Amino acid sequence: MKPGVVLRVILMRDLAMMKRYYLNTVSSLVTIYVVFLITFVGMRAFTGVATSLAGSDTLEATIVGFFVWTLTIFAYSDFSWGLINEAQTGTLEQLYLCPLGFRWIGAFTIISNLVFSLIPIFVALIAMMLTAGRWLSIDVITLVPLIVISILGAVGVGFVLGGLALVFKRVQSLFQIVQFLFIGTMTMPQRLWWARLLPVNAGFGLIRTSMIDGVRLWELPLGEVAIALLVGLAYLGIGIGVFSACERAAKSRGLLGHY
Amino acid sequence: MAEAVLEVDSLTKTFQGARNASVRAVDNVSFSVKQGEVVGLLGPNGAGKTTTIKCILGLVRQDSGSVRVFGGDLRHTYPGALRHMSAVLEGSRNLYWRLTVEENVRFFAGLNGLGLAERGSEFAQLLERFGLADKKNVEVRRLSQGMKQKTSVVCALARRTPIVFLDEPTLGLDVETSLELRDTLRSYSREEGRTVVVSSHDMDVVQQVCSRVIIMSNGRVVTDDSVAHLIDLFRTRTCTVKLGAQAGEGQQQSPQQQPPQAATSPAGGGPVEIPPELAAVLSEEFAPAEVSGSTVKVTLADSRSIYRLMDLLKAEQLPIEEIDYGAPDLEQVFLEIVRRAAAGANEGASGEATRP
Repeated sequence: MKPGVVLRVILMRDLAMMKRYYLNTVSSLVTIYVVFLITFVGMRAFTGVATSLAGSDTLEATIVGFFVWTLTIFAYSDFSWGLINEAQTGTLEQLYLCPLGFRWIGAFTIISNLVFSLIPIFVALIAMMLTAGRWLSIDVITLVPLIVISILGAVGVGFVLGGLALVFKRVQSLFQIVQFLFIGTMTMPQRLWWARLLPVNAGFGLIRTSMIDGVRLWELPLGEVAIALLVGLAYLGIGIGVFSACERAAKSRGLLGHY
Repeated sequence: MAEAVLEVDSLTKTFQGARNASVRAVDNVSFSVKQGEVVGLLGPNGAGKTTTIKCILGLVRQDSGSVRVFGGDLRHTYPGALRHMSAVLEGSRNLYWRLTVEENVRFFAGLNGLGLAERGSEFAQLLERFGLADKKNVEVRRLSQGMKQKTSVVCALARRTPIVFLDEPTLGLDVETSLELRDTLRSYSREEGRTVVVSSHDMDVVQQVCSRVIIMSNGRVVTDDSVAHLIDLFRTRTCTVKLGAQAGEGQQQSPQQQPPQAATSPAGGGPVEIPPELAAVLSEEFAPAEVSGSTVKVTLADSRSIYRLMDLLKAEQLPIEEIDYGAPDLEQVFLEIVRRAAAGANEGASGEATRP
């Protein structure tokens, strides 16, 4: 069995889908920018309002906050949305017939989602910086690992929602609740010792430091990076555990192909 | 003797419904399939065919029983054992409609680790064989239902697994397309020597494509036999005798030639009718028997029964015009078997598989 081939065909499928559904791809890009624009204009009109997203009163922090929040939403919702869609179209059971096991399919799908969502999100980030007239440090070597560490927790939440989708099928309303919960977990002040234990919180702090202050990966406090990584892995582990339990329940009740 | 590549042993699955109501979808099902066999799973809706297939594929978790694929117990070899099995489960719904035919084939073959580089020519041959070569760059959504269904089958075959499950492969197809797909499947399975399990309630599909049939009813296997043998069994067991006009009717007969109980012959010299006394004897000895005017349709218990039937008719000196052993198709066989299974279940039969 060749996992590389599986990853490649998933990437190829998603690339083809992105091209076929180009209107959706473009509109998601526009939506990100428009929501930012509304936030930005609102922030300028009412100083202090909407800056809660950033956790500080700076415009730069707002941009970073918006950037990480968008990434987080993509990370947790794409996978679970994908599961719902696959069940509806009838391809989910075919994916389950992969000899590698569905967890690998899930992991590769998340990687693919990340690759293809990073492109529009980075384009939106540049548009945001142009609009705000502020330039942030985008050091790819620092930023990519921090993004991966940060969104581990969000992916874990995605697995939980995906598992619930396997059993309960319609969980879309939960997505909306979770996206607002993430604003809270991200922006919880880190002076509270337990705040770092919330998903994405520690990682978001590191990304903010890197993008606003231009701090490189190796210059970041090792303890902070370790906490972000461990918390992310813990949420990912919990997510996979919940997903597995839901998968067992769905197979036991014969719900896998239902929608 | 070919080895069994698939062994299903005492497979049982019960679904819990609302208010603790439960439905036993698969009830103690056992069978094995040998390398290169093309087996039909036949049964009415709700017989448990799809659930059985999904249990074998690990998509539904069974309550008890075991599935062995190439000797390995699925409980220990899953999901790796899936490299031996592929399936068409929901026909054209198994595809990405916004991808082209070729993109779908590449994707699903890729899930089994097969890349285009080493398998490109095989994919092309498959598309050619199923008449999809000129449609390979067309998005699936733009294809006819028949083409979509064929693409689905090609995607399963492109995974190059030794065992292929086809669940209702001709569902929703028009007669012509269904016939075409059946022909292709039949020739393909023979040439490739792959093990194919076809689930269908379309008797023609099973009769034309499969060499062996497993008939399921109410979650149980009620018959497991070769298609040819089953049809043969039913052919020899049903016999229809048609009487003709009385010999020399209209001519004077000697008293010795008069039948002991005169068979009635309608005015005008038509075929004689079976006397009610004889009809009663036939109904009793050859049940289920149908006696209607000059025709009697009986079920023969064994090969000697035909002599007994002839003796009875001869004793009455009834003129036999035609004897038809009947050529039942699988549909008749199936209906008879399922009817008997249902009758057996109603009578509180022990649940053992009924053999014709």
